[in-house]
Amino acid sequence: MFRPVKLTRLTIQAPEDRISAVMAVLGDLRLLHLIRVEETHLGHLGYVAHIDTSLLEHYDSLLARANRLLRDLGPAGPSPGIRKVPQPDKAVFRLEEDLAHIETEALRPLEQKKKAKNAISEHEALIARLQLLEPAKIDLDRLHDLRYVTWRAGLIPEENLNKLEQSLVGTHHTLIPVGRKEQRVVLMAMSLKKDEKALLRALKSAFWDPLELPPGIHGTIGTALDQLSAELENLKTGLAGLDTEGAELTRKHGARLKYLREEILLARQLLKAQAKFGQIDHTYLLTGWIPVALFEELKKRILKATSGKVLVERVDPKDIKEVRSGILKIPILFNNPMLVRPFERLTTLYGTPSYEELEPTVFLAVSFLLLFGMMFGDVGHGAILCGIGYYVFRKMYRYIDYGIILMECGVSSMIFGLLYGSVFGLEDLIPALWMHPMAEINHFMVMSAFLGIGIISLGLILNLINVIRQHRYGELLSTSGLAGALLYWLGVGLVARYLLSGGLSPLEVIFAKVAAGALIILMILQRPVRAVLAQRRTGEKWRHLPPGLGGTILESFIEVLDDLLRYLANTVSFVRVAAFALTHAGLFIAVFSLADMVQNVHGQGFFYWITIILGNIVIIALEGIVVSIQTLRLEYYEFFSKFFRGGGKPFQPLLEEKL
Amino acid sequence: MILAAARYAYPNAKVRGLRSRRLTAQDRHFLMEAKDFSSFLAYLATTPYGRVLPNLEEEKTDPWVLERLLARSLMEDYAKVTRSLRGQREQELVLALFSRFESENLKVLLRALFSGRGKQAVSRLLYPLGNLSALPWDDLWACNNPAEIADLLIRNPFGQALKHAIPQFNAQGRLFPLEMALDLSCFQRLKQAISGLRSKADRKAAKRILGPYVDILNILWVIRLKIHYGLSHEEIVNYSLPGGELLTLSYLHRLARAEDISSFLEQMPRSLQREVGEVREWEDFHTYLETWFLRLIARLFVGPPFHIGIEIAFLLEKEMELTGLITLLEAKAQGLSPDQTVKKLPMQFSGVAHV
Repeated sequence: MFRPVKLTRLTIQAPEDRISAVMAVLGDLRLLHLIRVEETHLGHLGYVAHIDTSLLEHYDSLLARANRLLRDLGPAGPSPGIRKVPQPDKAVFRLEEDLAHIETEALRPLEQKKKAKNAISEHEALIARLQLLEPAKIDLDRLHDLRYVTWRAGLIPEENLNKLEQSLVGTHHTLIPVGRKEQRVVLMAMSLKKDEKALLRALKSAFWDPLELPPGIHGTIGTALDQLSAELENLKTGLAGLDTEGAELTRKHGARLKYLREEILLARQLLKAQAKFGQIDHTYLLTGWIPVALFEELKKRILKATSGKVLVERVDPKDIKEVRSGILKIPILFNNPMLVRPFERLTTLYGTPSYEELEPTVFLAVSFLLLFGMMFGDVGHGAILCGIGYYVFRKMYRYIDYGIILMECGVSSMIFGLLYGSVFGLEDLIPALWMHPMAEINHFMVMSAFLGIGIISLGLILNLINVIRQHRYGELLSTSGLAGALLYWLGVGLVARYLLSGGLSPLEVIFAKVAAGALIILMILQRPVRAVLAQRRTGEKWRHLPPGLGGTILESFIEVLDDLLRYLANTVSFVRVAAFALTHAGLFIAVFSLADMVQNVHGQGFFYWITIILGNIVIIALEGIVVSIQTLRLEYYEFFSKFFRGGGKPFQPLLEEKL
Repeated sequence: MILAAARYAYPNAKVRGLRSRRLTAQDRHFLMEAKDFSSFLAYLATTPYGRVLPNLEEEKTDPWVLERLLARSLMEDYAKVTRSLRGQREQELVLALFSRFESENLKVLLRALFSGRGKQAVSRLLYPLGNLSALPWDDLWACNNPAEIADLLIRNPFGQALKHAIPQFNAQGRLFPLEMALDLSCFQRLKQAISGLRSKADRKAAKRILGPYVDILNILWVIRLKIHYGLSHEEIVNYSLPGGELLTLSYLHRLARAEDISSFLEQMPRSLQREVGEVREWEDFHTYLETWFLRLIARLFVGPPFHIGIEIAFLLEKEMELTGLITLLEAKAQGLSPDQTVKKLPMQFSGVAHV
């Protein structure tokens, strides 16, 4: 929980004819972070693999066919989980056969349905066009029979009508406006057949949008419209029949088709993963990170699947030169319980922890919920947050993590609501198990500051653990290390002593002065001393002080001063916890006062309750957001900044990426 | 009158201040006489245009890039003039005039889209419109076809014009209808903006300056469409700009049917015939008409000052100065002599009378 999953480096060497079986096992296990062999020293030696492009293309075409069928049949529901990962080179034959079988049955009715839909939309478009011409009461047969006159129907922008008229001066023509549509004129334009070209040129340059009528339309526009409407009805009836047939096909093949699609996707991903492999002659090499606990199982399964013809090895990270020198980073695979896992998103928002440092998610989760609850303590509001969280958790799969966080925040709010005795701002419904924040403001502020001291101290302790783990012993004497922590705790101790018993004894004062002075001098001098020691280590003779030593001391002094002030500011920053809790209570007072005023004016309970409800909605929305931001701010700036460095690399399991 | 003075006192002062930054006769002389492109640029850097030029020693001086950089000065003046005006309708008139540059950038965008190029490849052809343009340029550059652009601009006159031109774009398979639609929509907007002005004096002043301006453009378009594009008279009339003063549609129709320069001149209104009567080559119409127009502008500046015509006249005068400067820049870049250049510039710029 406090550390990421322990990983080991895995290397597999497999002959070409067994690589597909290896991939199937890896795909089944999934928890492998592949390293591109090309990027390792083996890649430089020429161990570079190539994807089987013809097989990948085959899968691409299968995917396109499956997608088309799924689009047309439209089965509902989530994608199924794959029970057994396919072996890409073998599975392709089965997938091809299964897909072809479904296509044989489904393609014909689907094609008919498509044609029917096209015919319906064509009819609808034609009806819409004819309706534009309807006011003209034209007999199309008579127009078609004209021997010396040509005609066109269409639309032109209103402002172009005059210009069009003028442009045809000298040409026998007539322009008949029939109606208007969206700042355009519906127009019948006629000219002598011999002037047809001139008419078309003029129309074209007047931004003519032709209403083209197919040759099969006869009689008056009204008759044609009746005929087309009847045909449209027939087409719609036909389509309804095809829809029923389609629904039957969906019921019969939908689930199978979705499963096939998932298998195709998985096989494609496995094939694409091959780009990270190495290859020389007929031997493949692949390497990556895998949880230590899974190694034996993986090895057993691979050996079984390949009849022992594959070499599976593990290397301890400590034995890898690149890891030791920091060139290669071990990826981070989080290892948190379900309720803490959603907070990993907030951790990674700040940075990805490195493999060597403590994984801070669990600390973040606990302190986040504590701070949020303190600032937003109310049983009613907590219950609503919890309800919203549950809705998100159940209905919005993509935001499931945020749903869990909301539910947990809601529970925390409810617990603090019980401690504060507040239900939707009413403080007389249940007794306060701890205190009413508004009644004990000073006490609450001191409590918040002490909570801050606790969280900052936790940050300092976690930092010391990281420093020791990562062998950065030099930092122990810095302001962020042991010396800084001791000075901070000394200050805290003195303040606590003063608050508890009032005044310090002379001995305590002398001790505090000496200890603080010594620690500050230590913190200031640690950098210059380290510089001098570094010079000695490099073998230079120690006749003179290192160049720039004065500047280093001054810089160190300013840094210490800055860091100590930051400790103070960080601690005081936690007073905001009390401030926001009080704001929460204060907003309730405002809402109730407003409700009273409304009731006095209207004299009815209805408006009183409406105001209370609206006020509560505003408080939940507005304050919920503000408190979340403030909590996150305290976590990132006051807590994480004490110990969390980040810079790690996230673990990318094989097949994680959906295509 | 008092109200007009109160309304136009500040814009008028602003315009006169900006107008004082025009190129002086001395500037124009030295620019004309510059012995080569680099000395032309060296002198230009000492004029008010120097401010918008890049560091000539450090950066490449591509004439195309310089042309658009020089236009920044005009774009800034548009913004200043718009800000100085109080009334929304007066501002709309200036913005309608400004929309011609937006239209140019839209055309560049359409061409880039049509030829499969990205913004980066054509950015040197874009006018630096600045904040005055309210079009969603980033979204426009993300569009994949003209229909998307039309949909995005549907609340703007450009959107409506493009929408109406898309059937012809689809039928003809070329950008010409869309480009024409953009141009026409600018002038349609300008015409509406003039009619929308509250004061009669403003409407009259705006027509007095913009009417001849549209006439000039129509004459030049007729020549261009007829001579260079070989379009028929029906098409030329339909592509004419609205809002002209002297040239009615029937004049334009007759001009479009004219077969040579002498019959072209005969078909012109009498007042215009006086201005261009000496023209013997199609290319010369441009210079003569510009000279005439600049004279009209100059006359406006010595008349009553409190109307929108002053602002419009200043912007058009500045635009013509810029056009002259760009002509000169191109001539110098091509190594043409002052004698060869002078024919392409209006008299007010070259100092040489053509008429």
